[in-house]
Amino acid sequence: MSKNLVELIRRHHAEGAPTALEVLKAAMDDHGAITDDDRRVAAERSGLPEAAVHGVSTFYDDLLQPRGRRHVRVCTGTACFAATGDAHVDAVREGLGLGLGERSADGETSLAETVCLGFCHSSPAVRVGDVIDAGPGVVERVLAGAEREAAEPDPVSLLAEPVLIAPGTWAGLRAALERNDPEATLEDVKAAEVRGRGGAGFPAGMKWQFARAATGEHKFIVANGDEGDPGSYIDKWLMERNPELLLEGMAIAGFVVGADHGFVLCRSEYPRSKPALEAAVARAREAGCLGQDILGSGFSFDVTIVEGAGSYVVGEETALLACLQGLRGTVSARPPFPAERGVHGMPTVVNNVETLCNVPFIAARGPQAYRDLSPGATPGSKLVCFNERFAKPGLYEVPFGMTMRELCEDVAGGLVDGHEIKALQIGGPLGGILPGAKLDTPFDFDALAAEGCMVGHGGIVAFDETTDMRELARHLLHFGASESCGKCFPCRIGLRRAHEMLAADAPVDRRRLEELLETLELGSLCAHGGGMPAPIRSLLAHWPDELGLVAA
Amino acid sequence: MTSVTINGRTVEVEPGTTILDAARAIGEWIPTLCFDERQDPFGACRVCMVGVEGAPAPLPACTTQVRDGMVVDTRDATARRVAGAVVELVLSELPEPPASHTELAAVARQLGVSGTRWPGTVHERDHDDRHPYLALRHELCISCGRCVRACDEVQGTFALTATGRGFDANVAAGLDQGFKDSACVSCGACADTCPTGAIAELSLLDLAPEPLHEVTT
Repeated sequence: MSKNLVELIRRHHAEGAPTALEVLKAAMDDHGAITDDDRRVAAERSGLPEAAVHGVSTFYDDLLQPRGRRHVRVCTGTACFAATGDAHVDAVREGLGLGLGERSADGETSLAETVCLGFCHSSPAVRVGDVIDAGPGVVERVLAGAEREAAEPDPVSLLAEPVLIAPGTWAGLRAALERNDPEATLEDVKAAEVRGRGGAGFPAGMKWQFARAATGEHKFIVANGDEGDPGSYIDKWLMERNPELLLEGMAIAGFVVGADHGFVLCRSEYPRSKPALEAAVARAREAGCLGQDILGSGFSFDVTIVEGAGSYVVGEETALLACLQGLRGTVSARPPFPAERGVHGMPTVVNNVETLCNVPFIAARGPQAYRDLSPGATPGSKLVCFNERFAKPGLYEVPFGMTMRELCEDVAGGLVDGHEIKALQIGGPLGGILPGAKLDTPFDFDALAAEGCMVGHGGIVAFDETTDMRELARHLLHFGASESCGKCFPCRIGLRRAHEMLAADAPVDRRRLEELLETLELGSLCAHGGGMPAPIRSLLAHWPDELGLVAA
Repeated sequence: MTSVTINGRTVEVEPGTTILDAARAIGEWIPTLCFDERQDPFGACRVCMVGVEGAPAPLPACTTQVRDGMVVDTRDATARRVAGAVVELVLSELPEPPASHTELAAVARQLGVSGTRWPGTVHERDHDDRHPYLALRHELCISCGRCVRACDEVQGTFALTATGRGFDANVAAGLDQGFKDSACVSCGACADTCPTGAIAELSLLDLAPEPLHEVTT
């Protein structure tokens, strides 16, 4: 990330300037396409050079897809693929007479692809304006102009006492402020061994410690709400239905690290998240839980909500910081780590939304109570969510260590209509694919890693016996190639080549593919290019016949 | 000071020194494409991978700082295999092989990559000759970011930007209106650093038609 551009942004932010991305998003909302005049205005208002603004305007999906008065976005996430094999995409395309990314000549209707809307429990999903419809009949309703808001299931906790789905009460922040010993609270978070819930599983306490030790005029807490992993709607629920818990976790992090401001970056694919979070911030300020002199403690901390613009890789922490500051959402090499140079060049903690939601319980009840939630396994609880193929899809709070069979059969009721689990993809598109024969694998970091899989975000997507694994490989690599940020060479070119290999109507040279997967895995700058080989390797290992391979 | 052993030679360097800088200081060659010593390390090309004792996989030399006692093998077989594979991918996105005098062609030769086995999409030819002596050939751009950083970090003009994303990533001047009508001050720093000739000075292009005479030094 350019130090000079970040410094320009810092200075203009101090004067109350919007980011270039905010100005461009508003232009898109206003007239459905970005013009050079919009770019000049964005440069003028944000203080960024015109060229940099042009770069931003060519990066994000939301700024690239022209919008008609009726803007239809069809979900091409993995749960929707598992539900229809993408038949819903073809049906909407044919029904509207538009290709993906096209707008009708009269400017009335436009169609675009979106990944993913977080309605994986009711796939397929289609968004019209800000209305998300999903489930049986969705295509017919959208084509008839009769779309309606789809329902979202209430979550269920398997714990004796829910932790993550219990409404936030600010009890953890109160306890931390009364104790008034940030170092002791940090030690508690470290002793609780909170592992990051956004994919990488990095210990949250370590990030806090680095940022606490760093020096800076300001420090920031950033909640990563860019839950781009298709098949996950966990952070979506937390941001929209339990935002107080997240804000409380952020305030505790701020108190420990010495930060006075926080940002939540939520996704534009979730149109309800930003309003829900902003309403919660207003309530918290009213209650004295955010703002100046919180609960009479002398500690001040406030939160700003920022919305992304359609890019999967922005879920990576350095890309997220770029997006938050209105720049192109590309990955930066570390060092410098965000803990030393993050928002506006200042020490910054970036934690996933669910990770931060774990913190209030630890602050209120202590690390041992937290560890006791999952005896003999990774400490704490985990939110998992199931796709539409299951009989009881939805969001569940579970302890670590249950087997995938217990989760899939006992909790989610097995698959609908007597279908069989051919395979599961757990944790997002960078997770390996677990064959149905291995359902006795425990749901935990190490046990899943031993099968080439991961906990990841906690989304559990089942594929039934009708799924063609070469089609699945094509689906995943289409996603991988179109979401590559384009920064590092292996990912930028390699995912394109991998997709071309699998999408061609020709046998796949196994050795060439494996060489390419090695280049991606070892060469890529971030987990996107580095992780996309994992599911492809699973498919090679378990379903070689379906991939249409030839030996070199 | 920090002690690091590179290809069997131990050297003392300042803490915070990268493996690449330490290796170059003792004359050890590590291939690079996105690196320019006048700019901050970028970590994009992944051609500078090296083996580090105890590390599970090769590491990029340009962004990895040395640690005391680190043992580095710049000729590690896995690292070189990845570097060569990346260069082969880069050649596969160009509609024509790079001119022999370019840095890309030199790195390919040094890694023993003579061409590409990858079929598939290549960059579309798109020439911008609006400026009197700076030519931009978009199809030769490999998104190394050196021109953008030269304009930002060296010249402070900010006339260039990366554009697009994924395979379609490229570079543009201003609002894509060409060098002449952008904030460009015609300093030539971008052409000077470009490793492929995607940005080149027209007069030099005229003077140096292909193939160039190669000089071994």
